Parts: sequence; structure tokens; C-alpha cells
Amino acid sequence: MKVSRRFLLSFDWVWFLALLGLAGTGLLAIWSTTVGTSLESYLGRQVVYLCVALVAFLILLYFDYHLYSDYIILAYISGVALLTLVLVIGRTVHNNKSWINLGGRAFQPSELVKIVVIVALAKYFSESDSEDLDLRELITGGLIVLVPMILVILQGDLGTAVTFVPIYAALSVIAGLRRKHILVFLLAGALVIPAGWMMLKDYQKNRIQTVFDPSNDARHVGYQTIQSKIAVGSGRFLGKGFRQGSQGQLGFLPARHTDFVFASWAEERGFAGSVAVLGLFILVALRLLRAAREAKDKVGTLICAGVLSLYWFHVTINVGMALGLLPIAGIPLPFVTAGGSSLISSFAGMGICMNIRMRRYIN
Amino acid sequence: MNLQADSSKQLIQQRLNLFYVPIIAVGALLAVRLWQLQILSGAEYALLAEKNRIRTIQVVAPRGTITDRNGIPLVENRPSFNILLYRESVTNTDETAAFVTARLGISQEDFSAILSRSKALPVYHPIVIKEDVGIDDISVVEAHKQEHPELQVDREPRRLYRYGQVGAHVVGYVSEVSGDELAKGTFPGARVGSLVGKFGVERTYNDKLTGDDGSRVVLVDSLGREVGLLEEVDSVIGDNLQLTLDLELQTTAQSLLEGKVGAIVAMDPINGEILALASSPSFDPNNFSTRISPEAWNQLVNDPDRPLQNRAIQNAYPPGSIFKVIMAEAGLDEGLVDDNTRVFCRGSAFFYNREFHCSAKQGHGSVGIEDAIARSCNIFFYELGRRLGISRIAEHAQALGLGTKTGIDLPGERSGLMPSPEWKQRTRGVKWYVGETISVSIGQGAVTTTPIQMLRAIACIASGGRLTTPHVLLRAEGVKDESQFRTEQSALIDPEAMSTIRAGMWQSVNNWGTGRSAAIPGLDICGKTGTVQVIGAERKKELDGNLPALEDHSWFVGFASRDTPEIAVAAFIEHGGKGGITAAPLAREVFRVYFARKQSPVLITKAAPAGSGGRP
Repeated sequence: MKVSRRFLLSFDWVWFLALLGLAGTGLLAIWSTTVGTSLESYLGRQVVYLCVALVAFLILLYFDYHLYSDYIILAYISGVALLTLVLVIGRTVHNNKSWINLGGRAFQPSELVKIVVIVALAKYFSESDSEDLDLRELITGGLIVLVPMILVILQGDLGTAVTFVPIYAALSVIAGLRRKHILVFLLAGALVIPAGWMMLKDYQKNRIQTVFDPSNDARHVGYQTIQSKIAVGSGRFLGKGFRQGSQGQLGFLPARHTDFVFASWAEERGFAGSVAVLGLFILVALRLLRAAREAKDKVGTLICAGVLSLYWFHVTINVGMALGLLPIAGIPLPFVTAGGSSLISSFAGMGICMNIRMRRYIN
Repeated sequence: MNLQADSSKQLIQQRLNLFYVPIIAVGALLAVRLWQLQILSGAEYALLAEKNRIRTIQVVAPRGTITDRNGIPLVENRPSFNILLYRESVTNTDETAAFVTARLGISQEDFSAILSRSKALPVYHPIVIKEDVGIDDISVVEAHKQEHPELQVDREPRRLYRYGQVGAHVVGYVSEVSGDELAKGTFPGARVGSLVGKFGVERTYNDKLTGDDGSRVVLVDSLGREVGLLEEVDSVIGDNLQLTLDLELQTTAQSLLEGKVGAIVAMDPINGEILALASSPSFDPNNFSTRISPEAWNQLVNDPDRPLQNRAIQNAYPPGSIFKVIMAEAGLDEGLVDDNTRVFCRGSAFFYNREFHCSAKQGHGSVGIEDAIARSCNIFFYELGRRLGISRIAEHAQALGLGTKTGIDLPGERSGLMPSPEWKQRTRGVKWYVGETISVSIGQGAVTTTPIQMLRAIACIASGGRLTTPHVLLRAEGVKDESQFRTEQSALIDPEAMSTIRAGMWQSVNNWGTGRSAAIPGLDICGKTGTVQVIGAERKKELDGNLPALEDHSWFVGFASRDTPEIAVAAFIEHGGKGGITAAPLAREVFRVYFARKQSPVLITKAAPAGSGGRP
């Protein structure tokens, strides 16, 4: 395969630099909140993960994306097998048995499986030749999502499991959803949500309840929400400065380098810094949307739409949680949160979408 | 491209447009929320963040020290350690309670009681759960800092009363301020848990002794651990007080009272400085310097001998025969008797159709006023009382300070009682019987005085009419301020009368009078004994005469020397028997120590604490 000059010219530098900006934001925030503490090793590891993620990004960029969509069935089967393996030999971290040991490091296969599921579902829906999906296609597509999702639920990682829902919803909408099917979905939702609520574990229910009343149970779940809001709010316009955020530095803010990394950033960089990062997130979302619109074929469009929905869902839930708008869920902030699985899978998703964008004119 | 594919593509484009909705809506919502939190409520959250990380710790200031008149420390401070509970750092009350009961030996009930007592305090206010702890408890808390950051060890200066029971009634004690006192504002600046002066000098001069508390503003992490110091205001020790007490004399007085119930007071008659003030039984104020245990407190309060009572100023007793000194002053001053007046005593006499007895059954024969004082002849003073009448007696007694508080700078002083017809009419609604005047003439009946009052009256006569305000404070922070202690020149006493009375008192001690057991050869000690009948002689015989509670009270007051008075002493022993037998020797011992040291100060001062140690 030949990399033409035209292909290289079509590389979207703005998009790529936005991604690097977000990753850089993550490194700064992790540096500020972990160096000099017992969490110090996070920074070095994050740099290594970023390198790995960039390599993965470039590799995924290099081959034609049809290669991935054509052989996705293999990746899908491997992914499901991996998730099953995790259930058997996995490690439990914070109530979740979703981690496996990879060269001495905990790795979360579910993060990568999400990308596989997007490609698999996009490939399946793209083969539909009508303007919208019939019931059989809708159900088959649902099963493609549901199998890994159930495995993730069995791992106890409800937050990650929920992220499969926007993938399925977005791709169904783009591929075409009939009105009566929408009604069926709404009805099913109305039935499943209360049943699901009853299946939730107490700590999960508690997290949801305290969003509406954070002062209730102030020492535990609500405490985290309150401390996060204090961190964000006390940053005011320009922030307290590098390593000056008392909420993050003194440990009032929980998971200050992972789930609540946005609050750490907002505390030290203020409204200005927070809005800048929010701007980068929106910029990337718009780039993904443009890639979806301008993709050469339906499978390209669907993959970009799937990555966009997953990405934006993460941003919404994570930042919404940090700002006290949504329940606390262990959902990482793409590119920013400390952790290899999330960073690598985020860059992988972007690599495929950039790939689709760059090959929009190539026949 | 065919048409169908084209229209399908268009449809997909339209559907993709839906994505703008969540992107723009969520983006806008998050931006608005950031604006709301960081700009609109930014100041408020900044304050909350500050409150999170900053903890202000009060540093209790040490109280001023207290020394005797020679600068020997009586009360100092020693470092001690308390265990504090920071309730805002408690994550699990049950775990904390379990730890505290298992490792610090605080019972579950006590811990709950401490917690409920502190409910009204703001939650950031630490509470003392165990005080004056030893190294064991400190180690336990320090070793579990990680799991129990809510528990902290805190330093607090604590009172050290160097001489324990000696002078306890003068220096007093400190203990935790009560809820009542806080509500009334008795101690300005005191907070819950503050140790304040409750008795003695600690109480009277609490404001002076209390220092200015300091504070430490520290940075804490989310576990409540100190990670930095932002600001420190040093505490300032309270004023150091120098008392008028003389430790050696005080120790002497206290040991003389060993096993007895009573009081000994020694005073400079010229200026009212108290040289020694001992009350017995005594107590150890060190027991109060921690928040005293209920058992120990109950034991002190329920002791029938009431050790917490300062008998020198808080108890009033009939003065008995020492009241004759007052009578003599009144009689001489009113011109009803003079040096030539003689009364014949045959052991008893009739007044108002009732027979009154003298102390000497066979009688004193013909007695003049000096003799009457020296030998304590009742008959002479019955006659004098009849001539004076109760109103004039009361007038003179009151002029000498009886029946009113002396104003000594110690809390809880009682005024005693100098009865008069008006008083009886007012309080009992009954007329005064003239026969009562006869009883009052020898210090029996309704008249009662505190030892300090009687001492002051005698000192007034000794000093040529100076009615002083007795006091125990010599200097505060090195500054002498006499203005608060008045000395009045009593116009009622004429010099001649005084020299007559002094002569009578001198004879009492030095010329085989009732006070002879107070005599020290070579010293001109003047004195007067008193023996107070607790119960009539016949009635006493009916009951078991050996019951100690029925024994007479024993008094002696005196001064030395006759011409240059520099020390006045009052000794009082409850149910001690005859004043000349029990009280007078105690006073002599005080005089002896005082004058012996004056002659060879170094030797005596050294010998006193060493006891009967080896000699070179």
C-alpha cells in the first residue's frame, strides 16, 4: 500500500493538535496532583501510555480502515473471549472485576472492546441496503452490543456497561430507525429502567440519589460531589495556579487524577482554563461529526458516528459529574484521565476516524 | 452513483445533523455551569475551600505563677497532655467509639456522655476526651494517626501546687468552668472546657492570673493531618502574683492544725498583710487541676469535716471570752470604767434576777480591768455589759469590724453577727431581753465572729487603732498596689484605753493569766483566750460529757510585741476545749517561729523543709 502525497496533505492537524492539547492537559493535571505524593508514579506511566497510544493511533491510521471493518468479526470474537477471560481470572478494583494483569499493569479490556463493538455494529448496519433498519437487523445489531455489555455488567462495571447504550442508539438512528421501533424502544426503556434500578447495588443507587441531595450522606458519596464542586468553584476565574489547588493537593477531592481530574484542572486553572478545555472537547466532537459527514461510505460514517457518541457520552457524564450535575460514575474523561486503557482506546478510536477522514477522496 | 444511493446518503446526512443537538446543548450547559460555579459562586466556594483546609487551634495560655512573700514558688505550671477529638474528622462514629473504649480505656458510657455534653459546641471545636494522659495513651494515639486522624494529642499547661495541702485555702484551685458560669458570664473569655479559678486566690485574681490564649492556624489535609503552619500567635502567660504569705509560717500553722479542726491566721497588724492562713482539715488542690473525678469530688463534699471550707473566713463562731477585749474598749471609751474601777467577784452574781457564773467558781475577789482581762473574769464584764447596754456594745463591736466582712481578698467570706435589739426585732420579731446583754458581754449568745474578724479587731487595738483590710496579695506582676486595701484610723479608740487593754492582754500571757501557755520568755506577747460553751454545763452532764462534738470551742488571739506590734495571731480549734490549753500553745508556736527566724533567718529557713535531718 502506497501512502500518497495527497493522503498526507489531508491529515487534519487541527484535530490532531486538539487531541494532543487534551492529552497535555491530562499530563499537567496529573503532574500537579500526583508528583511529590504516593501517587507520583502515575505521571511517568501516563507519558509511556501516551507514547503507546500515539503509536496505536499511527498504526491504525496507516492501513485502510476497510481492512478493520472487513476483519472485525475476528476482533469481536477475541474481544468477547477476553471479556469472558476477565470474568474468570480478572482482578477486582473498587468493586469492579474488570481488570486483568498485563505485564504487571492492570488493564481494562472493556475500554478497547467498545471500539471493536463500534466497528462491528457499523459494519453490520452498513450492509443494510434499505433506508432504515428492519426489526431483524435491529435485534441482531442489539445482540452485537448486548453480548459484551452483559459481560461487562457481570464484571460489575456498570459505568462502562452503560456506555454501550449510546453506541447502539446513535448507530441505529443514523442507520435509520422506524417510528414504531422508536415507540418500542421507549416502551422497553420504561419497563427496563425500573427493573434495572432494582437490580442496582446499594452503592450505585446511593450515587444516583445523592446527585439530587448531596448534603445527604455528606461524608461519603455526597461528600465527593460537594468537594468536587468546592474545587471547581474555588478556582474562580483564573484558578489557583499550578500545584496550588488546596482541594486537590490536600486530598479533599477524591480521585483527583482520575475520575475527578477535570475538577483538579478547574481548581488550578479556573474558568478560563476549564472553558478552554471544554472548547477543545467541542472542537474534537465537531471534527468527528465532520468526518462522519464527509466519509466516503456508509461504514465510515457509522464508525465516526459511533466513536463520536461514545466520546461525547464520556465527556458529558464525566464533566457533568465533576460539576455536580450527574451521578458519580467511574467513567474516565477521554485523553485527560490518568490511565492507560482509556487513553489508548481513545486514541485508537480517533485513529480510525482520522483514517476515515483522510481516505474520503480515495477510491 | 445511482439515485437511490444518493437519497439514502442525503437521509444519513440529515440524521447526522441531529448530533449538533447534544454537542451544542451539552457544551452550552457545561459552560453555563462552570460560569455559575466559578464566577457567580466562586467567592463562596473559595471560602468553603479555605474552611476545609484551615484549622485554628487554640493554645491555652499558662496562668500566672504564685509565690510567697519571699518569692518561693507556691503555684507553678507543668506541661501535660490531653487527647482531643476532632468531631468533624470522624468518619465512622462506631469505629471511633470502639477504638477509644478498647485502647484508651474510656468507657462507652463516659464517651457518650462527653459527646452529648459537647453537642452545643460547633463541630470544628475539638473536645477533650481524656486529660493529663501518660506516655502509653500518647503512644496509642500517635501510632494510629493514619486510621484515626480525628484523635490528636494536645499540650496544655496544668497547675502544680508545690506544697499540696499547705495554704490550699489561700491559693485555692482551678477546675473546669461550669455551664452555669458560662451562661452567667462569671469568667469573661472562658470557653467550654476552660480551666478557671474556683477558690482562693485562683478565684479572686482569676482575671489577673489568666493569660491571653494564643492560636495556631494550620493547614490540614482531608484526613485532618497538619501539613503546614500558616500563622502562629503565641500565648501570653498571666500575671505572676506574690502573696503576703510566709511559706515557713504557713507550713508551721498547717502542721500545728494536723488532726484538728480549726484555723490559724497570722497577720501584720499595721498593714493587714496575711502572713499565714491555715484551715484544717485541708485538701490537695492538685486533685482539681484535672477535671476532678466525681468520686473524689463527692468524697470532699460529703466529708463531715468539710475540708473545702476555709474556717478562717467562712465559718462564724461565738467569740467567747476574747469578746471581753471589745467590751473593755467600749467601757473605757465610754468612760464607764477606768483603771481605778474595781468589781468584786465571788464566783457568781445576779443580774436581772438570774444567776450568772464566773469561770472561776471560787471567784476572783476584787478585780480591776487589767486583771479582769488577764484572768478572764466574767463578773467584771457582766457588770460592764449591764452598764453599757446592748446598743453601745454593738456600736463599738461594729466599729472594730465585727459583724461585717473584713474585705479580705478571698472568696466566700462570712460576716458573722453582732446582735442588737433592732436585729432581733427584724429577724425574729421578738423584743431583746436585757439578760441576753449579759451573755453577749462574755461573747456567748447570738454574737458570732469569724477568726479573721476577731484577728483584725485585736490587730486594731494592737496597732493603735488601725482597722486594716486583711489581704493576701502583695504584688501583682511586681507592682505593689495598696490602694485596694484600705486601712482606717478608728477614731473611737483613745490611746489610753488601748494601753490599758494591752496591759491586760500582756498580763494574761505573762503574769499567770489564762493565756500563759502562749508565753515565750523574752518576748512581750499579749493575748486573750476564749472558751466557747457549745452547750450548757448541766445539759452537757446529762448527755455523755465525753462526746467530742460537745467539747468547748477553743480560741486564742494575740500579738507581739506589746510596744512594737508586728504580728497578730488568731488560733481557733473547734471543740478543742479550753482556749488557754489548746489554742494558746498553737499561737505560741507561730510566734516562736516568727521571732526565731527574725533572729537567725538563714538557719530556720533551711531547717524547716529538711525536718530533723542530720547535723554537721
